[in-house]
Amino acid sequence: MAHGIVPPYLLVRISRLDDARFARAATAAARSLAHDEPLRAARLRFTFGGDDEIVAELVDAPHRTICDADELEILPGRVVRREGDDPTGDRATDEAYDGLGATFALFSEVFERDSIDGAGLPLDATVHYGRLYDNAFWNGQRMVFGDGDGEILRRFTSSLTVIGHELAHGVVQYTAGLVYRGQSGALNESVSDVFGALVEQYQADQTVDEASWLIGAGLFTDEVEGAALRSMAEPGTAYDDDVLGRDPQPAHMDDFIETDEDNGGVHLNSGIPNRAFVLAAKALGGRAWERAGQIWYDALLSPIPARIDFAGFAAATHRAAQQRYGEASREADAVLEGWSGVGVEFDGAPD
Amino acid sequence: MARQTERTLTVRVVRSGGFAGISREWSTRCNPGEEDELRPLVEACPWHRVPPADTLSRDRFVWRIEVRGAMRRSATVPDAALEGPWRALVQRVQERSER
Repeated sequence: MAHGIVPPYLLVRISRLDDARFARAATAAARSLAHDEPLRAARLRFTFGGDDEIVAELVDAPHRTICDADELEILPGRVVRREGDDPTGDRATDEAYDGLGATFALFSEVFERDSIDGAGLPLDATVHYGRLYDNAFWNGQRMVFGDGDGEILRRFTSSLTVIGHELAHGVVQYTAGLVYRGQSGALNESVSDVFGALVEQYQADQTVDEASWLIGAGLFTDEVEGAALRSMAEPGTAYDDDVLGRDPQPAHMDDFIETDEDNGGVHLNSGIPNRAFVLAAKALGGRAWERAGQIWYDALLSPIPARIDFAGFAAATHRAAQQRYGEASREADAVLEGWSGVGVEFDGAPD
Repeated sequence: MARQTERTLTVRVVRSGGFAGISREWSTRCNPGEEDELRPLVEACPWHRVPPADTLSRDRFVWRIEVRGAMRRSATVPDAALEGPWRALVQRVQERSER
């Protein structure tokens, strides 16, 4: 399989093909041309047909636009790179562009999801947001990345897991719509960490044992004693620093944190479902996106309430594993193992 | 003497949330004669019209601002709404806290 850039004139020709062998490609090209905004590029998949003919097929392609806020806190900023444009030479811009591409690739190629909304939503991002702004966020419409303060945190585009995490917030918004408070908020955070980690693993083709399971590795400056912002495999161990203190994430329900800050500790208690995912993925071995990731994605698309708690989501992942792989499958057992490892009990789980 | 301490104007700002989930806190206490530096900034904030919570954004900061002593006020302001008098107050507290 190879990917190429398709110029618009070729799309027009493909869309007009009157040949049963290219029916899918023609339909896809017509759909792309009908988009509201001009299509600048698409991807082609080349395969061998029945008669050893090369079949060219259009597949979903990202539609990225990167803006630069020029250190102001005003969105969206000025456009600096559109889909198909050459690299700009600005690290944050090019990292955001490539990171969105890598995230799009995971959702498209593994879960057959066409962008954030499943219908080709353009991917918009803003870099250089604010002065010394030490954060990255999803505002409901776009991903926004600060440059960091330079003393504790570096620019947020430097970790692919962060870019994948922000885009995954968009996916959750368009699917389960998990309410950003308390346990459903911590699940929202955890699902974003899961897919952020999977983007990095998919790009590097890592197995569960090769993966670092770190979120935001390399974001801390050399002044900070820490490997990353979070550790999915060992929550609570990502950093231990004189100034920042110790990573406060719990790894088990026994240590669940009740707080009003941070929307009820959504970035703290996410450690619990994060570890459940890693335990399930490690029980299955191989590549995490192939089975554990698919199960979590299936659960996200299943009919679950927006204010679901950990136990409810655990049950949803177990049902998803049973539906896809069988009631007494190894996959369903691995999911049970994951949640029981962090002390989450739910209806339907064996005593 | 205790009564005087109790009435000293203090402002505490806690920034929670954010991708990193690392809370930061700044606070400042006005020494006698210093209140003119902070009181106008506190009074300029619309404490009875606090911006509503930002329900769409994810990973954004949340700012908790508490005034104690001679005045008693508190508000939770989403990052997207930290502008105008809210931002002026927070910036002054940060500057004084880091002196």
